Amino acid sequence: MTDVRAPETDPFDPAAEPDDQSRPGPASPGRGTFGAADWLKWVWRQLTSMRIALVLLFLLALGSVPGSMLPQQGTNPAGVQQYDTSHPALAPWLSRLGLFNVFGAPWFAAIYLLLFASLVGCVVPRTFRLAGSARTLPPRAPRNLARLPRSAEYATALPPAEAVEVAARVLSGHGFRLRRPVEPADPADGGHWVSAEKGYLREAGNLLFHLALLGVLVSVALGGLFGYKADRLLVQGDTFADTASALDEFYPGRFVTAADLGPFTITLNKFDASYISSGQQRGQPSAFDAQISYTEQPGGPTRAGQLEVNRPLSVDGAKVYLIGHGYAPEFRVTDARGQVVYNAATPFISGTTGNFLSEGVVKVPDAQPEQLGFTGVFVPTAVDVGGTLESVFPAADNPVVSLIAYAGNLGMNTGPSQSVYQLDTSGMQRLTANPQVLLPGQSLKLPGGRGTITFTGYVPWVSLAITHDPGQLPALICGIVALGGLLLSFMIRRRRVFVRARSGGHGTVVQVGGLARTDASGGFEAEFAILAAELRSAHEQAGAHQPAAHQPQEGE
Amino acid sequence: MLSPVLRAPWLRAPWLRARRRTVVLAAAVLAGVLLAGVLLAGWAGGGNSGVTDVDGNASAVIYQAGHRPLAPDFTAATLTGAKLSFSSYRGKVVVLNFWGSWCVPCREEASTLSYVAAQYQPSGVSFLGVDVRDTVASAKAFANRFHITYPSVSDPSSVVTLDFTAVVPIAGTPTTLVIDRTGHIAGAVFGTATYPELTAILAKVTGKAGG
Repeated sequence: MTDVRAPETDPFDPAAEPDDQSRPGPASPGRGTFGAADWLKWVWRQLTSMRIALVLLFLLALGSVPGSMLPQQGTNPAGVQQYDTSHPALAPWLSRLGLFNVFGAPWFAAIYLLLFASLVGCVVPRTFRLAGSARTLPPRAPRNLARLPRSAEYATALPPAEAVEVAARVLSGHGFRLRRPVEPADPADGGHWVSAEKGYLREAGNLLFHLALLGVLVSVALGGLFGYKADRLLVQGDTFADTASALDEFYPGRFVTAADLGPFTITLNKFDASYISSGQQRGQPSAFDAQISYTEQPGGPTRAGQLEVNRPLSVDGAKVYLIGHGYAPEFRVTDARGQVVYNAATPFISGTTGNFLSEGVVKVPDAQPEQLGFTGVFVPTAVDVGGTLESVFPAADNPVVSLIAYAGNLGMNTGPSQSVYQLDTSGMQRLTANPQVLLPGQSLKLPGGRGTITFTGYVPWVSLAITHDPGQLPALICGIVALGGLLLSFMIRRRRVFVRARSGGHGTVVQVGGLARTDASGGFEAEFAILAAELRSAHEQAGAHQPAAHQPQEGE
Repeated sequence: MLSPVLRAPWLRAPWLRARRRTVVLAAAVLAGVLLAGVLLAGWAGGGNSGVTDVDGNASAVIYQAGHRPLAPDFTAATLTGAKLSFSSYRGKVVVLNFWGSWCVPCREEASTLSYVAAQYQPSGVSFLGVDVRDTVASAKAFANRFHITYPSVSDPSSVVTLDFTAVVPIAGTPTTLVIDRTGHIAGAVFGTATYPELTAILAKVTGKAGG
């Protein structure tokens, strides 16, 4: 289907066979009987046709749409739960269709397995055919070379057998593959001739392209089955180990288990972001610098490293990319008994705009007597604009947080897992009517003696993407090879030159004929002219050393 | 010029060749896909000998003697700041629970664990928590609320979890491992541990029913 030069369309290649796909389908079953084998054949031919491959590709794209539109069980179980409660009539049907687990659904697997079979079934037979085509000898020389697109004729003093011998040497010297008559002077074969063909690299390039295409398919499958992707938000000063429970999102390949994760650990020692402080580009980032230390395996030596945007860390077969950053305000919460029940840096998430105006929640599930929850906004450089806080610069020049406090049931004691960035206030009572603004070091006393929350400071965080794709390098290599093969098959022309010599007139008449594939023509005309001239001069030279003119003989 | 298989003499006749070739190729590729499917299914599902499910529930398992992975040793700080070496538990049956105060199913199973600990500790079974991705303040508040009296080590970076992941497939919290007197992992509950699961594993490992 992706072929650039279908060998079966070669008009002069006896090795090429008519393509199966031009044969009739079951609609015209020929002699009336259409057995199981014929059906199998027909199904196979349809499956491996370009049309079906395209349909399957389209279906695959279409099938992944619900995967991005609807919450998925594997990555967002809480979202699925939520959808279930908000769409009680629709959700069970979507669930039955596997739309909450699209990439694990049987119908999705069916599409990609069929697509894979289609591509393999298309490419493999073609590969064999190309391999055969690259090995074939040139055809026998046509009887009348003057009919070929390029031809030349001249006389030489050499006898025909020798003339052909000389021509063969010249052509072989130019890298042509030769074919000679089985019996040197078989009269039925029209006498003395040599066929020569050049440009087999075209077939080799085509073959290479197809093999590399298969390689790309296998590499992609390899990456999908044995690779993984993961995300982790890491607060400055924290360490994480590459294990499932330490990852925020984990998308393993089909054959990847938690035990296959690389045993490295990464600590974020320090993160600095610099911003342009004046001019039109004020607030634009000028540099990010994440100083990390990492160990490749537990107990191994600790190495220092640096993460920059688009400069990932390669560790233990995985690549770790810096993909984002933000602020994590630090809070200390004491409950009604005066116990410190929360003391942690809490990552807040910023939108795409707003100079890192970031939102987050604090959940204190073990405050007593009631659970406490806070929704907050962190403003790195706060300015009061008509009663609302806005951030005017992404660096933390005047950091404040604004909090709304809740008490009651966080919904964390039973039920589905919760997002750490969302507070379910349905079971909670709002304690503060207006958002309470705190500067670093300031505290908010909760009404009713429920406790105190203190904004103790802030630290930066970075988000890291960890990818392991064993198919990446093979896919790259195969891609390059495919491109190389494609170039070879585009740039190299297969061309044939035939030489016939027969006795006639005063000596031997030498006929030279040549043809090249019609496409990408131009160039062969000149090449043929040079070759013909060279053959002629070789014959003249050899003929000059011939002591006596060749005498015609019987039977030639 | 096709594959060697297809060069058999009976394929020489041109009228046979084209159709047979297609049929043979189709059959070969389909067979290959089927074989690959069977192999992959066998590979993914196999290798479970020596593991018995508890109550027919694949999330709670007992490893048969001879199939018990050796628990890795670790040294970490407890929630009270003391240094704890896991090797000091050698010779005892240990229930090792991976948890976090933020983790909903951990909160669900906390009362069960507290109850089972009270029941089995007198007969010499030790309980130890591994507090994953948590802070000391939150963890202490959790232990206080659910009356967890046994110690926990802090594992904010999941390093201890990582060590254990090398021998048992811990996918997250909660996970509960039961380690026998020789330091081998004899049973595991992946996910929320229930009273029947825990007591079934403990009865098998201690050789006593009901603690």
